[in-house]
Amino acid sequence: MIKFENVSKIYKEDLHALEDINLEIQPGEFVSVVGHSGAGKSTLLKMIYIDERPTAGEILFDDESLITLKKSKIPEHRRNIGTIFQDFKLLKRKTVFENVAFALEVCGEPEKEIQEDVPKILDIVGLGEKMEAYPEELSAGQQQKLAIARALIHKPMVIVADEPTGNMDPDSSMEILKLLLKINKLGTTVILATHDKVIVDKAAKRVICLEEGRVKCDDPKGKYNVK
Amino acid sequence: MFLAIKRTFKESLKSASRNIWLTLATFLVLVLSLYFISIVYVATFSVSGVMENVQDQLSVSVYFKSDTTEKEIMDAKDDFQKNGDVKLVEYVSKEQALEDFKKNNANDSDIIQSLEEIGENPLWSLLSIKAHDAEKYEGIVSYVESSAHREKITRINYAKTKEAISRLNGIVRMIERVGLTVGGILSLIAIVITFNTIRVSIYARKKEIAVMRLVGASNTYIRLPFIFEGLLHGLVSAITAMLLIFLTIRFLIPFVSKSISVENVMNFYLSHIFIIFAIQVGLGIILGVLSSLIAMRKYLKV
Repeated sequence: MIKFENVSKIYKEDLHALEDINLEIQPGEFVSVVGHSGAGKSTLLKMIYIDERPTAGEILFDDESLITLKKSKIPEHRRNIGTIFQDFKLLKRKTVFENVAFALEVCGEPEKEIQEDVPKILDIVGLGEKMEAYPEELSAGQQQKLAIARALIHKPMVIVADEPTGNMDPDSSMEILKLLLKINKLGTTVILATHDKVIVDKAAKRVICLEEGRVKCDDPKGKYNVK
Repeated sequence: MFLAIKRTFKESLKSASRNIWLTLATFLVLVLSLYFISIVYVATFSVSGVMENVQDQLSVSVYFKSDTTEKEIMDAKDDFQKNGDVKLVEYVSKEQALEDFKKNNANDSDIIQSLEEIGENPLWSLLSIKAHDAEKYEGIVSYVESSAHREKITRINYAKTKEAISRLNGIVRMIERVGLTVGGILSLIAIVITFNTIRVSIYARKKEIAVMRLVGASNTYIRLPFIFEGLLHGLVSAITAMLLIFLTIRFLIPFVSKSISVENVMNFYLSHIFIIFAIQVGLGIILGVLSSLIAMRKYLKV
């Protein structure tokens, strides 16, 4: 479903974020991307939701090229992808409900569907009781669940998670992983970039390791193996 | 589409009230800019309006020798009237001139006394000529001088008028030039300050913009609330500035200087109120919207 062909990203002359990446991710896969800071994990993920464009190479999403995708089509493409980050990127002046509803509002969904869908999704991630709370009143784990709810609201084909468990205690991390695995089980592709050895080993899914912008290993049933 | 506009409008109002300090700062900067620019222009134009009034009171007086008959003078009047640059020729008989003179100097007993001593009317009949345009007096004078009536003319008091005219012209031009320059500089400063204020307010919301992008909002949708805000700022600022200018003319001018006529400035302001308002709203909106659009470009790139 996602295919990288000879993808390179060069920021400045000597700064090669990614070099000659060749990858293929199938629908329904759960993929962990591991590597040191600066290995290129975030850059790789950003290319999928077109926050960055590669310097060279081709990226296919559902057989469509992301390189030649028109600028005006990018928002539509992004609705196919749910994004989750270490810093949650929640709007702290909106309630839990509003944070999720916002994602539907900006895409022009009718009010009726928003009122129906948002509580459902919040129930799935376990925040059904917290709809009127503000993000600051939630724990880190709960905030990330809220971010996941927002990412899921468009029923995306792919969830892209960039260090979702950074700065989180092990119990909360494990809950987030469980949630991601559950989402994956329901058919959504999950791409997870992380430093967290426990998470990767526990998931026991495909592991891609990056080193200095290159793919160093790609195991279908991998372990965290970054030294 | 309607839904999008409704939502963005709601969103604009909400964010304006949530970022109340930034909203206030932007609003204040806009009001002050519009206010000062307008004050400078209103002052400039009303002063030059007053000056034009003064110019209007200028005239060339052509005095006739004592033995000229009234009919001859009326002939000359008809003749001068034919000149295209002449707006009006007024006949003042020497009797009338004496009346006027006496009236003007009624308080000066010395002058009245000496008049009585002379016994007869020492004044000349005259034609007072007004031109359409202050610049045309020279031409009119030479027209008069070269006319068939010059034999009967004893004096043309142009020299004094000429000086006054050119001095007035100079003053008016200088005031206009200074006013326009100061107004121009103020406008530039205002544009820069407004732009920066709006940039700061957008910077404060870059996270919100980033989230909107991530959840797949189109660039148009992201821009709309900011454009609405720009519109709102422009409109409210313009109305406020208009009110402030009104109050300034009404209360500040009499306080600062007695020699400026409030009526003159107020008349100018009121008679131009729609055009001033239109320019202000236009300027306010253009400043608000353009600054928003330019400031947002950075956050909307791929």
